[in-house]
Formats: sequence, C-alpha cells, structure tokens
Amino acid sequence: MKTFFYPRLAASGMIKNKRMYLPFILTCTGMVMMFYIIIYLAVSSVLDNLIGAESLRQMFALGSWVIAVFAAIFLFYTNSFLIKRRKKEFGLYNILGMGKRNIARILFWETVITAVVSVIAGLAAGIAFSKFAELGMVNIMHGEVSYDLSVSFVAVLRSVEVFGVIFLLLLCNSIRQVRFSSAVSLLRSENAGEKPPKGNWLFGICGALLLLGAYYISATIENPLAALMVFFVAVLMVIVGTYLFMISGSVIFCRLLQKDKGYYYKPNHFVSVSSMVYRMKRNGAGLASICILATMVLVMMASTTCLYFGEEDAVLTRYPRDINLEFQFDDLSDFLDEHTEILKNGVYEELKAKNVLLRNDYRYRVATFYGVVDGNTVDVDPTGISDTDFMNSAYVFRFIPLADYNELMGADETLADGEALLYSHRTNYNADAVSFKNGETFRIKKKLDTLTGGSETAMDMISTITLVVPELESSLRRLDGIANFNGDSLLQKKWICSFDTGMDPEEQIALYQDLTETLRRDPSSSVKLGYKSVYISSQEFEKNDFYGLFGALFYLGIILSLAFTVAAVLIIYYKQISEGYEDQARFLIMQKVGMTKPEIRASINSQLLTVFFLPLLLAVLHVTFAFPIIRKILLMFNLNNARLFASTTLLTVAVFALFYTAVYRLTSNAYYKIVSGLGGER
Amino acid sequence: MSILEVRGVEKIYSTRIGGSKVRALRNVCFAVEPGEYVAIMGESGSGKTTLLNIIAALDKPTNGTVTLDGMDIGGIKESEIAAFRRDNLGFVFQEFNLLDTFTIEDNIYLPLVLAKKSYAVMRDRLMPIADRLGISGILKKYPYEVSGGQKQRAAVARAMITEPRLILADEPTGALDSRASDELLRLFADVNEAGQTVLMVTHSVKAASVSRRVLFIKDGEVFHQLYRGDDTSEQFYQKISDTLTLLATGGQIK
Repeated sequence: MKTFFYPRLAASGMIKNKRMYLPFILTCTGMVMMFYIIIYLAVSSVLDNLIGAESLRQMFALGSWVIAVFAAIFLFYTNSFLIKRRKKEFGLYNILGMGKRNIARILFWETVITAVVSVIAGLAAGIAFSKFAELGMVNIMHGEVSYDLSVSFVAVLRSVEVFGVIFLLLLCNSIRQVRFSSAVSLLRSENAGEKPPKGNWLFGICGALLLLGAYYISATIENPLAALMVFFVAVLMVIVGTYLFMISGSVIFCRLLQKDKGYYYKPNHFVSVSSMVYRMKRNGAGLASICILATMVLVMMASTTCLYFGEEDAVLTRYPRDINLEFQFDDLSDFLDEHTEILKNGVYEELKAKNVLLRNDYRYRVATFYGVVDGNTVDVDPTGISDTDFMNSAYVFRFIPLADYNELMGADETLADGEALLYSHRTNYNADAVSFKNGETFRIKKKLDTLTGGSETAMDMISTITLVVPELESSLRRLDGIANFNGDSLLQKKWICSFDTGMDPEEQIALYQDLTETLRRDPSSSVKLGYKSVYISSQEFEKNDFYGLFGALFYLGIILSLAFTVAAVLIIYYKQISEGYEDQARFLIMQKVGMTKPEIRASINSQLLTVFFLPLLLAVLHVTFAFPIIRKILLMFNLNNARLFASTTLLTVAVFALFYTAVYRLTSNAYYKIVSGLGGER
Repeated sequence: MSILEVRGVEKIYSTRIGGSKVRALRNVCFAVEPGEYVAIMGESGSGKTTLLNIIAALDKPTNGTVTLDGMDIGGIKESEIAAFRRDNLGFVFQEFNLLDTFTIEDNIYLPLVLAKKSYAVMRDRLMPIADRLGISGILKKYPYEVSGGQKQRAAVARAMITEPRLILADEPTGALDSRASDELLRLFADVNEAGQTVLMVTHSVKAASVSRRVLFIKDGEVFHQLYRGDDTSEQFYQKISDTLTLLATGGQIK
C-alpha cells in the first residue's frame, strides 16, 4: 500500500496540472521520435544503395547530436516552467509535514512517469514514422524504394540512453530547486513582489551594435570563400546580439513609450505597455530564443529548399552539356591548330564508333591561371601573398584564341597584335588594358556580354576574366615560363569539348563510363591523340550525386526545422499559459475597476501580437540581411539563381508566418480562457 | 431622491452538487440618500458581500431591483455594464487590488484611462485628491514599495478620481493594522463630509461607528438599522456593539 503512495501522488499531481504536463510530455515524445528517426536513417541499410552513403551517415549522425543537445537544452527550459508552477504545491506539502526527501520522491516518480510514457510513445511513433521518413528520404534522393518495415535496435538503444541521461539531469535540477528553498518561499514563489525592471542601456546598445555589425558583414561581403569563413562569426554575433537586444533593448523601448504620455495613457496601450515591461524582463530570453529558432528554421529551409530545387539549375551551369570533356596538355606547343585538329578528329571518330549523335557540340582551347589584380596590373606570381589576401583579390584569367572564339560564338571578330576581347564574370573590370607582370600587355578592344561554354567559369567561385587573344602561343609564351614549386607551369592548358547526346539517362551514364574507360584509363589513346590527361563529366551522373547530397541536406533541413518549430511553438505556449495564470488576478481587478470584456480582449490582443510578432519580425529582418551572405555561400554549390533563392526564402517565410499565426490564435484563446475564466460573472 | 434604492432583492444560489437551493438574500429593501455614509454589518455568511456584488452590478439578483440615481441596474445592457460601473461607482477592496505592474499614479489613473480621458485632465484631477489623501509623495512608487495603509489610500484615490455617484467599500480596513485603519476611517469620514456618498460593508464595529447609519444583515435580511444622529462615534460604537450582542444571542430588539 505504502509503496504506491508516492507514484500515485505524483500521477495525481500531473493529472491536476495536465495543461502544463501534457504539452511537456508531447514535447519529450516528439524529441524522442525525431532522435530515433535520425539514428534509424543513419544506420539504415537503404543508404547503402545511395551515392555518398558514408557522408550521408555522417551528416545524420551529426544531426542526431544536434537534436540531442537541443532536446536537452529545450527540455530544461520547459521543465523550469513546470517546476515554477508546482513549487506552491510542494511548499504546501512541506508545510503539512512532508520532508524535502519525500518531495524528492514525488519528483522522482513524476520524472519516471514522464520518461517512461514519453520514451515509449516516442519510440512507438518513431518506429511507425521511420518507414515514412525512409521512404521520404529515398524519394527525395531518387533512390530505390523498399517497403519492408524494420526496427533498428541500435536506434532504440541509443534513444533510451540519451533520453535517460537527459531525464536524469532534469530530475537533479528539479530536486536542486526544491531543496534550496524554504517552505514559505516555495509557497510564495509564484507571486513574489517584483522590482520593476530597468533597461540596461549598455547591453541594449551592445546588442544593437552586434546586430548591425553582422548585418554589415553580410551586406558587404563579396567573396564566397571569405563569406563561408565569416558566416559563423556573423551567426554568433546575431545570436548574442539578439539576446542582448531583446532582454534590455525591449525594456528600454517600453520605458520610452511610457514617457510619451499621449501614447501611453490610452486604454489599449496603457495596460499592455506596462505589463510588457515585466514580460520583457522575464521573457526577453524566451523571445530571443523564439527569434533565433525562427531564424534558423527560415534560413535552413530557404537554403536547403533552394539547393534541392536549384540543383537542376546548378548541374546545368556546372555541366552545360550532357557530356563534357576537358583534355589537358603539358606544352604550349600542343596548342597549335594542327594538333587540336588531330585530337578533335580522334575524339569525334571515337564517338562515331560508339554511335553517338552529337548535338549542340562546341569546342575551344583555353589556358588559365590565377593572378592578383592591382589596378590594371596583374601579379602572376602569387608567392609572398597571404592566403586570405589571395582569396580576396585573386582572379582566374582565361585565354581563348580568337579563331576558337569566332567558331564558338559564330562571330567574325578581328584583333591586331596586343589587342584582346574581355569577358568578366562575377566582377567588373573597367580599365582599358590588362597588363601582366612578367608578361604581355593587352589593350581591350571590346567587352563581351556573353560567352558560351562557361562551364569552367561557372564552377569557379572566384571572379573570372576571360581574354580572347589573337593567338595563344605568342601571347602566353612568357607567362608559361612561371612555374610553381614543383617546376610545373602555373598555366593550365586545356581543350574543351562538350556535346549533347539525345540519349536516355541510363545510356548517358553508360556512355560516360565507356568514355572514361577508353579515353582515361586506356593509355594508348592519350599517346595517340597527344594529350596529358582528360577530365570527363556527365550531367546525368553528376545529377545523381547532387540529388544525394542536396536531398540529404534538404531532408535534414526539414527534420531540424520541424524540431525547431515545435520548440518555438512550445516556448510560446508555455510562456502564455504561465503568464495567463499570473495575469488572472490582474485582469480580475481591471474588470472590477471597470474594464469591459472587449477592452480586456483588445488589450490581450495587442500584448500577444507584440510578444508573438516581435520575434518573427526580427527573424525576418535577420533573414533579409542573411540573404546576401547565404547567396554567396550557395555560389560554392554552383547555385547562382538569386530569384530561386529569393522565392524559396519568401515562400518559407510565408509558410512559417501562416503556421505561426495559427499557433498564435490557439495560444491566445487558451490564454484568454485562463485570464477570463475566473474573471467575474459578467 | 435617493441615490441608491434596493427593493425586494433576493438571491438564490443552487449548489453545484445536488442542486439544492441556498437563499443568500431575502427581500432586502433599503435606500441611500445623497451624501449619506452607510455601513452594512453582518457576520461572515450573512450575505453582505453578495449584496455588495449585486449593488456593484457584479452579480444579478434573482428577484428585486437595484436603482442607482433612478436607473435600474438590472436593465443595463451587458456590454455597457463595465462602463457604467466605471463611471458611476468607485470601489475600495479589502485586498487593495492595486496592479503591481503600475506605479501608484498609474493605478489611480486606470479608470480614467479606460474612460479615454487625456493625461492633462487626469493629472488635474489627481493632484487635489492626492494631497487630501496624503499620497503625493509616493505617486511614482510601485505598490510593493509602499505600506498597506498607503496602498489602501491609493485605492481610495482610484475610487474617487472618477467622481463617482457612490463609493462602495468592501471591508476596507480588513487587511490593515489598527493605526492604518483609524487613518483610513477618518479619511472616509472626511470624504463623506465633503459630500461623497459612501456605502461600506464591514464586520468591524470600529469601522461602522464612523458611519452615519448602520444596516444589520442577518440570514440574508435587513434585520435592523441604527442612525448615529448626534452621537459621538464612541457612543455609536457602544450602540452598535449592543445590537450585535443581541443579534448574536438571538434576542429581540424592541
């Protein structure tokens, strides 16, 4: 009999507070479910059939840790709300003669009940949904589908372990909180008189400065590589800045509003502004968390969706034709017309033998190297320049002979000696000449607007300048002499040949493998046709690779976004509910003093609107300013579709805002019910 | 004309379980004239708070009518009742009912802000009241920073600032120590001297003895009433106390 006393007391306490406990248990369940699913996917055998299985596994393993750490932090946060509500009850038990030890036992049983219920429910839901998750993933990544249901014991075990530890920590924290407070303070903890908060100007200004700094970085960054490096710095600045800004900036803001008598002493502002000052102090951190979670969801969804749906695009820019061949040469002398003619004939014969009907084919010779631009002089020898400087100011220079250009573009340009046509990509080159240290000087005859076959150009994250020169050998002889540490020339010499085939994807991949075999693996063809090596790429083959990588990213993006959204929703819910209980008495008084129900409703609405939409607004602002820097980073994935990114961002924001508004409606109703529930008969 | 008329008011509650009826008030009749200071006395459970709630339009009578200044409170539309209360009645509660998120000043302004008065008007009204109630020095403080007596005076200021027809006070001294109680009662007397009509519910003989007239409620009925007339409050105190003894021992009053 006695043995069941504590469990029963714990259970009845939880049932009485079900408005608080139910969402908490649901949260735990959701977290367990997501954790299980991610681990399940990480160890799932379907991954074996996908390209890049190993990196996918790593990505999911990393994702599972993100969820675990996040779950721990978040459950601590929500648990603190529960403890706060229960303290009064425990204080009463304490006064009625129940020792701290006994209360600890109640807490122990509560935790056990919560843990058992949520882990079992979470695993059940996880097992049920893991198949869907798997199918979804396979579908997104265009893999093979299988329909047998399986349970991963590794995943079950890992979930139980991780959440066991989290619940143990939660229990310790609860006991610690009850242990170090006296019975009377426990009783009073809920409505202890509180000092009116004062905004800390220093913190507020620091927060604003950090945000502005991060915005500035994002708005001004030019170079994709540099963008990736400072991105995490900017993210950190935004997180810290948001917290500081929300915690003290908002209080300062409300104080300023209060100073404005004309604004403040209006029925709908009066109550909301004054109680908001209190809200902000206690909930600044909560609001900041909501804001950051929302930002993460928006950024993650917008960029992974963009990557996923933009991959078609990215593959097309990177690999403009079905099959792309890049032959490399050692000597500048191999660039002679006769020589490339032999190569061309050889390759075309080979293709003809394989029954390939060429379409949209093009070819050209190109020589490339890196240089650092200073005014209109180009320093070709990058030794002695630091890596970051190099990254920020390095350009890729490409040289195309005039004959090849005319053939490629169907143009009829002529150039005198020392003249060149210039095409710049991801940069603006405005001087009227390009002068190379240790090399020739070219006068720019004309700037070009388009250039076909920029496959090389598009893949580069670095600014590119293409020069069409009268003839390669004489133009480049002096530059070719510059060697790297190994004594190889820094000048890369390539003959590029790209074409469409009109074949099925499978045939294209077969052709790609076939060509790799004959041109790349078989040394006799390189000797016969006189090239050093060849790089072969197939659009279809790369597409699969992209689907694997971006599909996984997209999928992880969805799962993490879900987790973060659920978290944001619950933070809001708990905030409103616990505030509702605190506000009950306040609104009762206001009703007695003569506030009508519509006035109460209006005041609640104006308060909730601010509390809800302030974080969302700030999040949207964050996303807006994150846009340039993320765009730069996406360039590294060959994604240069600003419109697609803009539309995925807008869409994500719209969907999120819609969902958010729904949650707002639900929560404000719950809040209103609590506030007006005891609010007098009329 | 009477400022407040309570005629034949009856209030019957049904208990939540079993549905048995409990009669809290039966056929309560009385009137309050302008400028009067009336105390309603009775033991806990005698129905005096129910009566006050009905007068304040916080509760509806089962039968009977309450008229304030010739207007039937029961006839006021649901949506207008709060505004009516705000414009015509001032409340002073046992538990002060100040909002801890407001300064004392803003607490006092609350009903006027709800009535959409401008800041200048509010301030003009507050200053003389604050002087009279001796709270000018604490206007910028928050409720948790001031004493119980000061809080109650702030609550009185909040009740008075709307210039109500009637101030309703529910056990205003209940949460105060005796010194603060004395001060508050003197204040009520002053306010009444200045022409304000006050209706107070109390079970403190001391509080009642400051009023001009005392109504005794027992078992939901007005059982008896005493006028102070020219008595000093000490003499009145004695009379009230004697009446209560009689009521408690069940004796008849001749």
